[in-house]
Amino acid sequence: MPDHPPGGTAPATALALSWNVSGHARRLLTLAVAGLAIAVGTGRPEFAGLAAPALLLLAAGRRGRPGQVQVTAGLTATRLVEGERAAVTLAVRGADGYTVHLALRPAHHIVPLPGLGGQRPGHAAGRDATLPFTVRRWGRRRTGSAEIILRDRWRLAEGRAVLGLPGLDCYPRPAVQRTRVVLSRLPQRLGEHTARAAGEGAEFGGVREYVPGDRQRSSNWPATTRRGRLQVNTFQAERAQDVIILVDAAWDEGEPGDSVVDRALRGAAAAARAYLGARDRVGFISYRSQARWLVPGLGQRHYYRIAEAMLTAERDRSYDTGFSRLPRAALPPGALILVFSPLADPRLVETLRDLRQRGFAVLIVDVQAGEPWLGRGRTARLAHRLWRLEHQAIRFSLRELGVPVVQWDGQQNLDLPLAPYTRRALVTRR
Amino acid sequence: MTAERPAGRAASWRDWRDWRAWWRHSTARLVVAAALLGAACLIWAATPPGTAGAAGPALVVLAACCLAGGTARLALAGLRRPDTEGYPGPVARLGAWSLDTLRRVPWAEASTLAVLALEALHPARPWHTALLGAALTGYLFAVHLAESSSGRGESAAILRSQAPVLAAGLGLLVLAAGSALLPSAGTGPAGAGLRAAAAIAALLACALALPV
Repeated sequence: MPDHPPGGTAPATALALSWNVSGHARRLLTLAVAGLAIAVGTGRPEFAGLAAPALLLLAAGRRGRPGQVQVTAGLTATRLVEGERAAVTLAVRGADGYTVHLALRPAHHIVPLPGLGGQRPGHAAGRDATLPFTVRRWGRRRTGSAEIILRDRWRLAEGRAVLGLPGLDCYPRPAVQRTRVVLSRLPQRLGEHTARAAGEGAEFGGVREYVPGDRQRSSNWPATTRRGRLQVNTFQAERAQDVIILVDAAWDEGEPGDSVVDRALRGAAAAARAYLGARDRVGFISYRSQARWLVPGLGQRHYYRIAEAMLTAERDRSYDTGFSRLPRAALPPGALILVFSPLADPRLVETLRDLRQRGFAVLIVDVQAGEPWLGRGRTARLAHRLWRLEHQAIRFSLRELGVPVVQWDGQQNLDLPLAPYTRRALVTRR
Repeated sequence: MTAERPAGRAASWRDWRDWRAWWRHSTARLVVAAALLGAACLIWAATPPGTAGAAGPALVVLAACCLAGGTARLALAGLRRPDTEGYPGPVARLGAWSLDTLRRVPWAEASTLAVLALEALHPARPWHTALLGAALTGYLFAVHLAESSSGRGESAAILRSQAPVLAAGLGLLVLAAGSALLPSAGTGPAGAGLRAAAAIAALLACALALPV
């Protein structure tokens, strides 16, 4: 089976066809042979007549068949978000006189969708066809393969060939987040968040007496008239902040597509989109057997860099977190650290303790919805109890550190659990 | 001015239209057609009951099971194995094994053989057998269309392209049944065998002379 490199449309590939008798021909042959055998055995000519339509159809089949076809395969999108619709486009040449049937043999997490004109999901007829599909779970995915089936006019022979399809990147579907947590102390960089300090922003700060050097356009004439001395308006500074999104992928639990890592990545994608939308610098750390990080950056392009970095969370299969201190290069001073974690690993607490001691503002979104499935019976009940106690201990130690923890089930709007911290600036205390 | 249709009634009318559109485009109607044709063949071959000897009831049960299996195979053709990340549980493995077995067994061939054997066990009745032959051919076509059709209009195109050969085959079927009804030139098993051989020879001649 020829295979494609990941992505895009490949040039036309010559595929050798393997021809076989079709199921329809086998069934007609059964009817014909059985009818003739009964006719001879019982001496009843009507059984020979019963075999007539099948036998004539079998005799009509022709012999000359093409040995190969030219197939061009491609994808309408090689980068998409979970649940988005894409399609495989196929063009078959060199199959004149035959009906062409195309079938998508999907790989893991690829779900064929019904096409136009009442097509069955993953099936299409014709030399040029589009087979729509969707990807159920994020990751660097193989699309699968396309099976090309040629059938003659009488449907007696089937020529089959299989073509490997290009791969694609599927990014986690971002949850909904419209509000943002903003720190009380922001770095000296122009942005969109209103800071406490006076500056040149658009947010009104107050009124004070004019001092030489103030701009004339900021004069507040009503206040000047009331007080008898020249008054000017003051404004608050508008600053940007650095946000580091930390995804704890050291432990996974739950059904694929709704596991804790899935929820953590969807929440992280939402946060990245929300903060980059406000022109903040956003960095990303994947916490697993080794920390992988992206230095903070700006803009839509950086969002896709973060999404690409998220895909490595699946590739890195080792669950042994052998460190508790995140590298200095990944953490700009004064940054807000947003942690998406199931809080199942006590070593993460050590990492967060270290972050707090270094003066970072940390906010944790607990993505563990409910208790993990540990089985039934007495032992499982005991295991559940131990798990609950350990979870409570971790939350308690985080509270002691002054780290706020909010619970998020992955379904609801992310603004709801974050609401207590988005209404006012988050004060950081060392 | 047009009278407005009540909202509830409009919704039900739309639902009905959706159902009709779905029915027209889906392969479900081909599956239903194959099941009905198969059942008709079985009932036709089994009537009148009690004249097929001791093996009759067993063949009826066998044919019915094969028809049910064939219908289930066609109905579950679009079913995919669920994606599982890890090792599947016993129920999932049993389900996958059942689906594989269902798809491997040649149900239509087995039911055709059972129905033909059932018909052969009855006393000679040429027109009855001829009609069964036409119905069995239709059943095999319905099975083929149900398993290979990928969109609307395809079934009609396939049948249209094969119509002349099918018509010739049905003509031969009528001729064979008619010849079986004629008073025999010779009596006894030798005469019957001769007539069957003549029918087969005519059939083979037509197949060889087919201008395709």
